[in-house]
Amino acid sequence: MRWRGGTDVIVGALLIAVAAAGYWLAADLRIGTAMRMGPGYFPRLVCWVLAGFGLLLAARGLLAGGPPLETWAVRPLLLVSAAIAAFGLLLERLGLVVAVLALVALSRAGGREGRPVEAALLAIGLAVFCVSLFVWLLGMTPPVWPWRR
Amino acid sequence: MEVFANFGLGLAVAGTAENLFYCFLGALIGTLVGVLPGLGPVATVAMLLPVTFHLPAISALIMLAGIYYGAQYGASTTAILVNLPGENSSVVTCLDGYQMARQGRAGPALAVAALGSLFAGIAATFFIALFAPPLAEIALMFGPAEYFSLMLLGLVAAVVLAQGSLLKALAMIVLGLLLSLVGVDVNSGVARMTVGLVPLNDGIGFVPLAMGLFAVAEVIRNLERPEHRLLPQGRITHLWPSWDDFRRSAPAVLRGTSLGTVLGLLPGGGAMLSSFAAYTLEKKLSREPSRFGQGAVEGVAAPESANNAGAQTSFIPLLTLGIPANAVIALMAGAMMIHGVQPGPQVMTSNPDLFWGVIASMLIGNCMLVVINLPLIGLWVRLLHVPYRLFYPFLLAICCIGVYSLNNSTFDVFVLVAFGALGYAFLKWGCEPAPLLLAFVLGPLMEENVRRALVFSRGDASTFVARPISLGLLLLTLVLVLAIVLPAVRRARAN
Repeated sequence: MRWRGGTDVIVGALLIAVAAAGYWLAADLRIGTAMRMGPGYFPRLVCWVLAGFGLLLAARGLLAGGPPLETWAVRPLLLVSAAIAAFGLLLERLGLVVAVLALVALSRAGGREGRPVEAALLAIGLAVFCVSLFVWLLGMTPPVWPWRR
Repeated sequence: MEVFANFGLGLAVAGTAENLFYCFLGALIGTLVGVLPGLGPVATVAMLLPVTFHLPAISALIMLAGIYYGAQYGASTTAILVNLPGENSSVVTCLDGYQMARQGRAGPALAVAALGSLFAGIAATFFIALFAPPLAEIALMFGPAEYFSLMLLGLVAAVVLAQGSLLKALAMIVLGLLLSLVGVDVNSGVARMTVGLVPLNDGIGFVPLAMGLFAVAEVIRNLERPEHRLLPQGRITHLWPSWDDFRRSAPAVLRGTSLGTVLGLLPGGGAMLSSFAAYTLEKKLSREPSRFGQGAVEGVAAPESANNAGAQTSFIPLLTLGIPANAVIALMAGAMMIHGVQPGPQVMTSNPDLFWGVIASMLIGNCMLVVINLPLIGLWVRLLHVPYRLFYPFLLAICCIGVYSLNNSTFDVFVLVAFGALGYAFLKWGCEPAPLLLAFVLGPLMEENVRRALVFSRGDASTFVARPISLGLLLLTLVLVLAIVLPAVRRARAN
């Protein structure tokens, strides 16, 4: 079944939700007057405008029908996100080398087929590359190995 | 002539061994990303931003600029040999370039593209040197009200001239503004919308935002499609174009350069718009339009000159008005700000070495690019055989380490994850991330100028329409919006 509202309704609804959240987050900021604006003046203004656009988009989708929803490639989305998140989690705990290995392993799992040997070689090669470029050449100081900190 | 003295200063700055090296590096990387279809200049510049923070501001900008116009050169190679645009700005080059390659004229097509780009690059450099300073002087007279109106015009014009749904693009602008407000308010010192997260006090990071929306989202999207088998067409036997090719392409290069130079100035313009417009113009002017699509050399010469000219002149709004015209230029604006240089008319007077150095480097970079592209063409062709599966983990690793290195903070890595996923969602929903980025860069400036304008006018909002220049800019904004909306309204009524 194809829902005729399509992406416009979804995007519109999300924008309204973001605007509402922004408005709520800015709720305890002082508004001030136009001449002496408080920190809350401009965020609230922007939220109102954003909600307005969200409404327009949703209305257009409902009335005129929007472009249909595309299917999402869930696997690459999840695994690439997980790969980067794993890098963030591991870098300061287990060091750059482990973080890069995890990044390659997870992101390769999200992508196209390919021999495991190739992936392993790629991971090792990239770890060597990253350490030599960023640590030795550019002088960055992240932890490199799990045992030396 | 003052221009020559200034340009001489620029050449002296750009001609130091260090800056020559970064100019060459930028041109080389630009060619590389231009040749590779799955990687664009926006993503590359975003990825390399952290690296450039270790460099002096001038070297950083010279290198980043080199990537942008270098990509215009490299993109034509892929378009001609594989029938795949290396970048969006070379989509139209495929039409005739690939046909030329199939007829065994790949070499001349590549040579015409490179030489046309060289001519356009040199012409555009001199155009910038001549016309940027007067424009900057006008902009120096602007007050906060004028500035706010100008930024509004810049943002709206950028989405009107870009493709896609206008309503969504406008909404993306507002979303970008909202995101730019997160963090401590400079005027009151109050943390705004930070959800209690301390790292957000400095605002959402520009680099993880741009990298996520462009680089990571692009990787995810590339992974969902089956890998293309890239088959370069034919062997390149000779490079030099025939006399007939020269005769046909010379006027096309001239027209393409002029068109690209002008269109590059417009917000939302730059390389892509220029190449499309130039191809259409050539086809209209041609006495035998049927030759187009069958390997007409003009169809390669005009758009390739235009995209290079447009890529370069799109620096003018940034260097003179402080308004980024497209996503790449917005990243340059971010790079300037992180180096403590506020883009705008004052750059020319406060940092003349930077202003003229970057302009002069374009002249040097374009000459380097012809050398990088023509004799080394075989190397670039071989590069096309590297499969994407070997290549994207490398991109992700550069992104992650780069983002972390900015503040030594893993928080930014998680921001990268969030914006990567959001960027992929935007692609699926048909929302352009570029307007969001432009607004994110301009957001703090817009708020600042609204506040200042209203303080000057004692809270009277009519100051924006009472001052003639500001009123003119706002009216122009309105006209642009109406120009797009009205035909749509008419069509809806007719239905």
